[in-house]
Amino acid sequence: MLNKFTRASFSARNLRRKPLRTIILIIAIASLVSALVFSLSFVARVALGIKIASERLGADILVVPAGSRGAAEDVLLENKAKSFYMDRGMMERVRAVKGIDKMTFQTYLTTMQGKCCDVPETVVVAFDQDTDFLIKPWLTEKFNRRLDKGEALVGNESAFNIRVGLVEVDSVLFGNVFKMVGVLDKTGTGLDNALFIDSSNLDDIIRKGSADLRPNQISIIFLKVKQGLDPYKVAGEIEDAIVEVDTMARKDIGKSIITVLRDIGSIFIFTMALISLLSAFLTWAIFSAIANERAREVGIMRAIGAREKHIVAVFLFEVLIVGTIGSIIGILVGTASSILLAKSFSIMKNLPMHMGIMQRIIIASAGFVAGNAVCIAGALAPIQKIKKMEPLMAIKKE
Amino acid sequence: MPQIEIKELTKIYSIGDQEIKAVNNISLNIDKGEFISIVGHSGSGKTSLVSIIGGIMRPSSGHVFFNGQDICALDDDRLSEYRNEKIGFIFQFASLLPMLTSRENVMLPGLFRTTPQPGDDARALQYLDLVGLGDKAEAYPSQLSGGQQRRVAIARALMYEPQMVLADEPTGDLDEETEAEIMGLFSKLNREHEITFILITHNLELAGMAGRRLRMTRGELVTV
Repeated sequence: MLNKFTRASFSARNLRRKPLRTIILIIAIASLVSALVFSLSFVARVALGIKIASERLGADILVVPAGSRGAAEDVLLENKAKSFYMDRGMMERVRAVKGIDKMTFQTYLTTMQGKCCDVPETVVVAFDQDTDFLIKPWLTEKFNRRLDKGEALVGNESAFNIRVGLVEVDSVLFGNVFKMVGVLDKTGTGLDNALFIDSSNLDDIIRKGSADLRPNQISIIFLKVKQGLDPYKVAGEIEDAIVEVDTMARKDIGKSIITVLRDIGSIFIFTMALISLLSAFLTWAIFSAIANERAREVGIMRAIGAREKHIVAVFLFEVLIVGTIGSIIGILVGTASSILLAKSFSIMKNLPMHMGIMQRIIIASAGFVAGNAVCIAGALAPIQKIKKMEPLMAIKKE
Repeated sequence: MPQIEIKELTKIYSIGDQEIKAVNNISLNIDKGEFISIVGHSGSGKTSLVSIIGGIMRPSSGHVFFNGQDICALDDDRLSEYRNEKIGFIFQFASLLPMLTSRENVMLPGLFRTTPQPGDDARALQYLDLVGLGDKAEAYPSQLSGGQQRRVAIARALMYEPQMVLADEPTGDLDEETEAEIMGLFSKLNREHEITFILITHNLELAGMAGRRLRMTRGELVTV
């Protein structure tokens, strides 16, 4: 049985002649692509997580104590334990501003294992069931009643954190025993890691003295504006009227993280540009060496009828084989790293996993294109040089 | 009309400030089916002349007409096609590609043809048989002796039955017996298929087998 002899097999055999050199080139491209896929996944995941979290929050405007925007974002997006309070009377002042349709409040408490509570550190959200329009949509069909005093709901992810796994478990929170009676649906926000109680429990908690909270204190007021009104305008009017508060429109939630992310993105872009340059340089150096070594062979091929485009095709196919193998390895390594190492980054620790298959495909495609493009860019000059040589000159080149 | 018509052909190499005329104003006609030998000292311009005729080097001035067409005026694609379809090259050095087997080396010109021909495998084996290497079809050049490599190169040059074979010291590494066989093959192809042969050699005995003998001295051509 004779082996099939084609231009593709010809290129593949050329690469096999110097396996170590080929492997080095593949590793370089794989490193570039894996770094690219990892960083794109990182940035896309955080950005998307923030976008979805803010969209799912269900409120148009958040009103927080002045100077607490960052702390509010930390709680809502990442479930970071933060305390910030304002007087509940602030609600009446906000209500006086025109254009508000719905309004509710939440008060955030931070648990400390062994000190006040028997659950690991997390945020406890006290909400007002009469006015709430944020938590209700995430209550499962199984739990379609009001929460009683001494009862708590657990966030979708929190069920794992406090190791109850199932409901109907008693836990001590701020010196009071709470029965975990239900689990919220996944919200895709930092609240997935929180515990939820009715605000009527706050008096008992304050009485026990194990929480840093005074009577009638709340953390955030959530607002829905009347249809057709611009949330930014209403938010501006609230800030003008009440100097003790800051406001955040829904689209601004996560702005501080996005600003940091933009900086991280710039560092990634710079690093990627540097790695791409190095990979292209390595490809150029290796293909220059290959072109020099094979000058006589190219001359012979030209003498027996190879056109310039045939020479380009032979070398380009070699480049594409290296680029494709390197890119595929890079995509696999980069994707695996982005999944395995995600929880090593505090910014991603509490952000929900929102990378869909489509996003992964887009990032993988970008990595594939970049890997091959860098390879081609690096090899182009040596290929151009060798194809332009007069056959006899190429044959005589030592 | 002659198959090859060379008119006032000159090739000048520039080495630093110095200019060397490798081919000096040569004019020559070669008819289809001729068997020409060219002898001359090293550096006399034999290889340069044959390289220009074969289209692997462009002249400094002058023209080479092949069947009336000026090959010096062809663009790269057409010139490559000319080399691929009309010319068979046999170089004076090892010219096989190391990662290809003997069979694949013989088939190599077919890889660059605009219209691939069916049955290339069988033809390659047939030509390898012709040069006595039928049993070495799947051997790589590193597994062949210098003489065997030369014979594979000859099979490659003849594989697509070119109209003209340009052979630069084709039997240099071969023993007398193989040399005679190869020369016999050349004569047969020349006679039966009217393939034109231009043979560069130092061997006056081989040169004597050609129908027309030429000598090159300092870029100029004289009939012996």
